[in-house]
Amino acid sequence: MKKFDHIKVRSYEEASRVVREGNGAVEPIAGGTDLLGTLKDRLLPDYPEAVVSLKGIAGSRYIEEKDGMLAIGAGTTLKQIAESPLVKDYCQALSEAACSVASPLIRSTATIGGNVCQDVRCWYYRYPDSIGGRLECKRKGGDTCYAIAGENRYHSIFGGMCTGGSSCQHACPAGTDIPGYMAKIRENDWAGAADIFFKYNPMPMMTSRVCPHGCTQHCNQSVYGESVNIPAVERTLGDYILKHKEEYYKAPHKETGKKCAIIGAGPGGLTAAFYLRSAGHQVTVYDSHEKPGGVLRYGIPHYRLPKTIVDEFCQALETLMGIRFVMNTTVGRDVTVEQIKADNDAVYFGTGAWSQPVLGLEGENLTEFGLNFLEEVNTYLKKAMGENVLVCGGGNVAMDVALTACRLGAKSVKLVCLEQRGEMPASEEEIQMALEEGVELYNGWGLGKVLESEGKVKGLLAKRCLSVRDENGRFAPKYHEEDTMELASDFIILATGQKVELSFLGDHLSSQIKTSRGLIDADAQSGRTRAQGYYAGGDAVTGPDLAIRAIAAGRNAARTMNLDLRPENGGEQQSAEGAEELAKERFTTFNVEGVERTKAVRPGELPASERSLTGEDRSSLDQEQAKQEACRCLHCACYAVNPSDITPVLVMEGARIVTTERTLSAKELFTSKLTVQDILHRGELVTEIRIPRASGETHYDKRRVRNAIDFAIVSLASAFEAEDAVVKSCRLVLGGVAPVPYELPEVEAYLRGKEITPETAAQAGEIAMKHAFAMSGNEYKIFMCKDAIYNRVMEAGR
Amino acid sequence: MKEHLEQICMTVNGVPRKFVIGDGVGCVSPSETLLDTIRDRLGLTAAKRSCEHGACGCCTVIVDGDAVASCMVLTADCDGSSVTTLEGLCDPVTGELSPLQKAFADNSAFQCGFCTPGIIMSTKALLDQNPNPTEKELTEALSGNYCRCISHYQVIRTVMGFINEMKRKEA
Ligand SMILES: Cc1cc2nc3c(=O)[nH]c(=O)nc-3n(C[C@H](O)[C@H](O)[C@H](O)COP(=O)(O)OP(=O)(O)OC[C@H]3O[C@@H](n4cnc5c(N)ncnc54)[C@H](O)[C@@H]3O)c2cc1C
Ligand code: SF4
Ligand code: SF4
Ligand code: FES
Ligand code: FES
Repeated sequence: MKKFDHIKVRSYEEASRVVREGNGAVEPIAGGTDLLGTLKDRLLPDYPEAVVSLKGIAGSRYIEEKDGMLAIGAGTTLKQIAESPLVKDYCQALSEAACSVASPLIRSTATIGGNVCQDVRCWYYRYPDSIGGRLECKRKGGDTCYAIAGENRYHSIFGGMCTGGSSCQHACPAGTDIPGYMAKIRENDWAGAADIFFKYNPMPMMTSRVCPHGCTQHCNQSVYGESVNIPAVERTLGDYILKHKEEYYKAPHKETGKKCAIIGAGPGGLTAAFYLRSAGHQVTVYDSHEKPGGVLRYGIPHYRLPKTIVDEFCQALETLMGIRFVMNTTVGRDVTVEQIKADNDAVYFGTGAWSQPVLGLEGENLTEFGLNFLEEVNTYLKKAMGENVLVCGGGNVAMDVALTACRLGAKSVKLVCLEQRGEMPASEEEIQMALEEGVELYNGWGLGKVLESEGKVKGLLAKRCLSVRDENGRFAPKYHEEDTMELASDFIILATGQKVELSFLGDHLSSQIKTSRGLIDADAQSGRTRAQGYYAGGDAVTGPDLAIRAIAAGRNAARTMNLDLRPENGGEQQSAEGAEELAKERFTTFNVEGVERTKAVRPGELPASERSLTGEDRSSLDQEQAKQEACRCLHCACYAVNPSDITPVLVMEGARIVTTERTLSAKELFTSKLTVQDILHRGELVTEIRIPRASGETHYDKRRVRNAIDFAIVSLASAFEAEDAVVKSCRLVLGGVAPVPYELPEVEAYLRGKEITPETAAQAGEIAMKHAFAMSGNEYKIFMCKDAIYNRVMEAGR
Repeated sequence: MKEHLEQICMTVNGVPRKFVIGDGVGCVSPSETLLDTIRDRLGLTAAKRSCEHGACGCCTVIVDGDAVASCMVLTADCDGSSVTTLEGLCDPVTGELSPLQKAFADNSAFQCGFCTPGIIMSTKALLDQNPNPTEKELTEALSGNYCRCISHYQVIRTVMGFINEMKRKEA
């Protein structure tokens, strides 16, 4: 074993302190039968510097009666528990469970405290580091659960449990719970999917079309085949939402009487407007353009995002939600920020990046600015331009410009950019499309000067770009000034970036919230600026970036604004009902056949020859197709079962767990989160377990391969009170079948008052397995559960 | 982190032993298992190193009256303990086997013998605590000791015979 230190302590308090101060580098050890296995195989990426031994804590091993309950010290060995007449008297099931653990050799050192805190036995998780390296699976903070599409015989039959988000969710700048809405779509619950989606982003009909979808690059399906086509599913959900817009864009139930102004009607501003209006505030949106939408309307071409969709969305905000739009109004000229602030309680800046940066290029004045070009085409659907277009820039805007020029009928479209093909900031998909439509790429060239003759553009002198970034990754292009090339063109469009323009703020506000880089200084998380009542987000804060980042910023700022406006409402309180809901949904499931499909469902796409300026290139998946694609989502979570034999009994008995800090119910500690460690604080130690006297007869039935050593494949903790073969009351908790002990309230309700017959016993098993969800290799556990329940019910009638 | 150079005392087969826990030469490392200590430090090699995960019982020794898997116990945690290994069952002076060991030998209750020290230690712990076990209790007590040569049947027969023999002798 790799070395660690051994710290002796005299009390739990001291042990707690040592663990806390160890900051993650010190682990408590009781019997060591679980922990030493973990350490020997170096299963976890973090290896402790020291263990603090709980063995020497005097008075930590006892079994006694206390206030009418059975109290067991956490340091008590399973052998002591298995042999104790007092335990048998209070709860036969606990005695049986303790006796079923491992073998006498383990039970003589293993403690009950260590047992309930033990780690899982998933074989991927347990794969020793010494043979080829440990597996950094989902439970260890990695991305993938290997058991989903692997060997899962000893895994859950009721679904997995989330371990802090999936990799697609982490890759999404808005943190969208992608597997969450995919799961709803699999159940054909589109309304449920929409509800989840709206927590993150109010415009899937836009983002599904315009977002580069980093989530798909991080999708774990790509390990097996194609990534889940997340954008296509999202788009169908967006279509669904627009179809039912009355339900999703609604005026608030109650007005708060507070007023908010949003400056800038782009994706970020509209998002902030949506969430603020939903919270009951009066919202006014100002924008200098004729219509709302910002880049969604004026930057992104029709063929990617039809403007009818932008219209429909903005109209919903206006007419259904009651958001006021003040258009054609340039703030700073037609109205000052101060005037707006005087009329409102809070102001949000989502003004974006719309200005042309000056490059200092000879002949620059003869060129066209990319964003203006797009804006004009998006507004008038036509544009006078030359025949041989040259686009400068390698990002997504440049791609949009180049494709738009093609579709406007340019004879030739060339694109020149500093970056080599693989370094281009534009998404690969768009580059492919541009190539398909005949755009010629010139990679690795910088702009020398515009070649002209009599005030007419003739082309561009390009110079070889040697490298784009310096060793620190900063943008600092190096050129070979002599290595030049002439690119003929009569129409040059510069799409080499946009600039944030903040003169509208006025001198006073500028001095408070403008950074030296010419951006708005706002907190990335809260959107707060240094000026009270002013908030900001999106490109105006970050410089040109993705729409989805602006959406996330608008959402976060709206949350902060709402809190600042109504501090009395504090953190959103979760209703008891909500908690119940959450509990029901805590197990994740996936589609067993669906996850095996390696090919994504693809929407229809027009061939290059049929694509146009106005029609969308791609169609939407219908709901059935989208559902099929959602079935490919693995629902990345941990599907390992809790291996403890003791916890199902403690949950069944309603035991209380005393720690160094508090007393928790067994249900809370063992069933509400994936691991006990997710609930216990660092250094919080279990000190005692209290069990009320069981009513009726209790048992622990454990099914396993060999009757010693092996962990349960299925186990059943039960308590029955029966009279004349009629069940008066019962409690049933399954072990080994879910990430946490699995309660069976429906079965209990069903059996209460029933006469025990083979039919009722069989029916009890059927009900118990109603929500079962077998993985690819563990269906037999369902039969074992039914059998265990059948036998136990029949036994209760004897 | 605090300074924790500790000294631990334990008796092994009746002999008091003192170990300094630490990283120095001759010290017992804080992460050393009891199995490592008895085999590599004390040269008591009857307890076998096998699965090293508490699953086979080949490393069984008796600690304070209980049979334990010594591969899953830290020596540093054994302060004040009394440890018995198979070597401690024979007569310390003459080296004569204990009656239980003899029974195993006389009845050939083994094949290759790799698991036998562990099995004998588990049996010994059981008989010390319960001199008159049923066959079921015996099988249960030996359920953590694996034998890949399938000597179990012979073991159970031998031990049950041994118990009856003892009873007869006592009567
Ligand atoms: C071969 C083998 C078979 C097994 N079979 C079974 C089985 O069938 N059923 C079963 O349920 N288990 C089984 N186990 C698992 C487990 O080792 C035991 O159940 C045992 O009870 C764990 O207790 P321990 O005191 O040895 O734990 P340790 O290994 O000392 O600790 C386990 C974990 O709990 C933490 N911990 C310990 N005490 C506390 C405390 N008081 N407060 C907070 N955290 C604490 C430790 O830091 C560690 O992370 C088996 C283990 C082995 C090696
Ligand atoms: S089931 Fe859990 S422990 Fe096993 S591989 Fe999946 S995430 Fe890891
Ligand atoms: S399989 Fe599903 S949950 Fe996992 S990364 Fe892909 S979309 Fe996300
Ligand atoms: S080596 Fe200790 S139990 Fe196998
Ligand atoms: S006799 Fe060979 S392992 Fe048991």
